[in-house]
Amino acid sequence: MADASKPVTADETQADDAARGRLAKGGKRRLSFASAASILGGLLLWELAGRFLVRNSLFLATPTQIVEEIVKLAASGELQLHMWTSGQEFFIGLAIAIVLGIAVGFITASSRLGDRTLGPWVTALYATPTIAISPLIILWTGIGIWSKVIVVVINSIFPMIINTDAGLRATDKHLLDAARCFGASRWQLFWKVSLPAAIPFVLAGIRLAVGRGLVAVVVAELFGARAGLGYLLIQASEVFNMPRLFAAVVILAVTGIVLTWLVGRAERILLPWRFAGDDR
Amino acid sequence: MTPKLEVRDISKSFGTLEVLRGISIDVADHEFLAIVGPSGCGKTTLLRTIAGIETSDTGSIRVDGKQVTKPGADRGFVFQQDCLFPWRTVWENTIFGLEINGKVSAETTARTRQLLQLVGLTGFEKYYPTQLSGGMRQRVNLARALAINPEVLIMDEPFSALDAQTREVMQLELTRIWQQGRKTVLFITHQIDEAVFLADRVVVLGRRPGRIKEVVPIDLPRPRGLAVKRDPRFVTYVDRVWNLIENDVRDSVREDATVAS
Ligand SMILES: Nc1ncnc2c1ncn2[C@@H]1O[C@H](COP(=O)(O)OP(=O)(O)OP(=O)(O)O)[C@@H](O)[C@H]1O
Ligand SMILES: [Mg+2]
Repeated sequence: MADASKPVTADETQADDAARGRLAKGGKRRLSFASAASILGGLLLWELAGRFLVRNSLFLATPTQIVEEIVKLAASGELQLHMWTSGQEFFIGLAIAIVLGIAVGFITASSRLGDRTLGPWVTALYATPTIAISPLIILWTGIGIWSKVIVVVINSIFPMIINTDAGLRATDKHLLDAARCFGASRWQLFWKVSLPAAIPFVLAGIRLAVGRGLVAVVVAELFGARAGLGYLLIQASEVFNMPRLFAAVVILAVTGIVLTWLVGRAERILLPWRFAGDDR
Repeated sequence: MTPKLEVRDISKSFGTLEVLRGISIDVADHEFLAIVGPSGCGKTTLLRTIAGIETSDTGSIRVDGKQVTKPGADRGFVFQQDCLFPWRTVWENTIFGLEINGKVSAETTARTRQLLQLVGLTGFEKYYPTQLSGGMRQRVNLARALAINPEVLIMDEPFSALDAQTREVMQLELTRIWQQGRKTVLFITHQIDEAVFLADRVVVLGRRPGRIKEVVPIDLPRPRGLAVKRDPRFVTYVDRVWNLIENDVRDSVREDATVAS
C-alpha cells in the first residue's frame, strides 16, 4: 500500500481534482471579467439614458447623481443615522430569529409532542407572507425600533426553524449508529453527531433569514418610523427626490450583497470539511 | 478457560421474518474468527445485537464472562458502510471513541498516534474523509475502532466497498496489524477466500433463518502472505466453504431477482 509519506496528490482522483481546479481558475478569471464589463456597461447606458433620453429628473436619477447624493448624505451624518437605526433593528431581529429558530427547530425535531403542537403553526406561518401583517405590528407596537425588530423576527424565524428541524432529522442513521456503538449518550449524540450534521442546513437557513430580514426592515420602516433606510426611502419618494430615493435603494442593494458574502465566508469557516481541497 | 466473546443462543425476528435462529459462537482470546454467509442471512443483524444497538428475542452476549446489553468500550466496531464523520478530520475521527468515553489523555493520544502509524496514515491527520480514498477511509475506521483499545474487534464486511486490488492489500494489512497485537477479532464477510485467508476458524451461516451450518477450523501457517492463496490447502478450504453455502447463495440471488422483477 502507498507509503504514508507519499503526498496524496499522487492519487489519481486528486490529480483529477487539481486539473479541474486549474481549469476552474482560468474560467473564473474570464467570468469575473465578463461580470465587471457587464456591470460597467450597464451603468454607462444608465448614465447616458438619464442624461440624454429621460431628461426629466422626476423619473430617473443617473449613477453620478446617486453617488453625489450618497456623499452628501454621508457628509451631513444623515446616512450614518439611518444605517445605524436600520442596522440595529436588523441585527437584533436576526439574532433573536436565529437563536429562537434553532431552539424551536430543535424542539420540533426531537420531541413528538413539540412537533405535534408547534409543527402545524410553523408550517402554516412559513407559507404565509408574514410581511403582509407588518402594518398591523407597527400599529400594535408603535414606531420605535422594537416594532421593526418584531417584524424582522416573524419574517426571519421560519426558515431558521424549518431548516434546523430538517437538518437534525436528516442526520445519517449510520453515523448515529456508529456513535451509539461507542457508547454515546443522548446528549452526546446530539452535540457530536446531529448538531454538526445539521450545521449546513442551519447556515442555509441563516442565508434565507438574512434576505427576508432585510426586506422586513425596509417594509416595516415604510409603514412608520422616525429613522432608517426605509424611512429615508419613503421620505425621498414623497418629495420626488429621485437621487435620494435611488441612493437608498443602492445602499440597500450593497448591504444585501455584503451580508450574503459574509454568510458565505461564515460557511467556509464553519464548514471547513465541505470546502476542503478547494483551495489547497 | 472462558471465551473472550460468548454469543449464546441468539434468535431474532423482524415481525414474521425470522432472521437469526439459535446462534451460539465462542471466540477465544487472541482468536481471529470469520463468519461467512450469503447476503441477507442476518450477519449485520447479529453484529448489531453484539454491539448492543439491537435487542435479540432470546439469548445473551458475554465479554470476558460478563453479560453485556448496552454498547461499550469493550467492543470496537468497523462497519459495512463508510461511517466516518465527514466534519471531523482523520485525527478527530480516530479519537471519537476516546472523547465519548472521556478517555482523552496524553497516554491515549500517544497510543492513537502510534495506531495511525500502524495503519499507515501518519501525515494525514488533518485531512477530511472526503479527501481520502476508500482504502484510506477504511483504515481510519479501523484505527477509530482500535483507539478505544477494545477487548474484541468486530468488523462487518469492512472491505466490501473496495475494489478487488485495494481489498487484497487491505487483507494483507489487516493480518499485519492483527499480528502485532493479536486482538480477538470477529470478522464478518461474504467473501469466502477473504474469510479463509484471515481467520483461525470460519463459521458458515445458512439463511432463512440465519443459523450456523458448520464451523471450519483453518489450519494454515501464520504469518500469512498472499502466497497462501495459492497453497492447495487454501484452495481446498475455499472449496469446502463454498460447497456449504452454494445453494443458499443461489437461493438468495434468485429471490433478489424475483423481488426486483
Ligand atoms: N430493522 C429491520 N427491520 C426489518 N427487517 C430487517 C431490519 N434489519 C434487517 N432486516 C432484514 O433482516 C434480514 C437480514 O439482514 P442483515 O442486514 O442482517 O443481512 P446481512 O447478512 O448483513 O446481508 P448483507 O450481506 O447483504 O449485508 C434481511 O432480510 C433484512 O431485510
Ligand atoms: Mg450486512
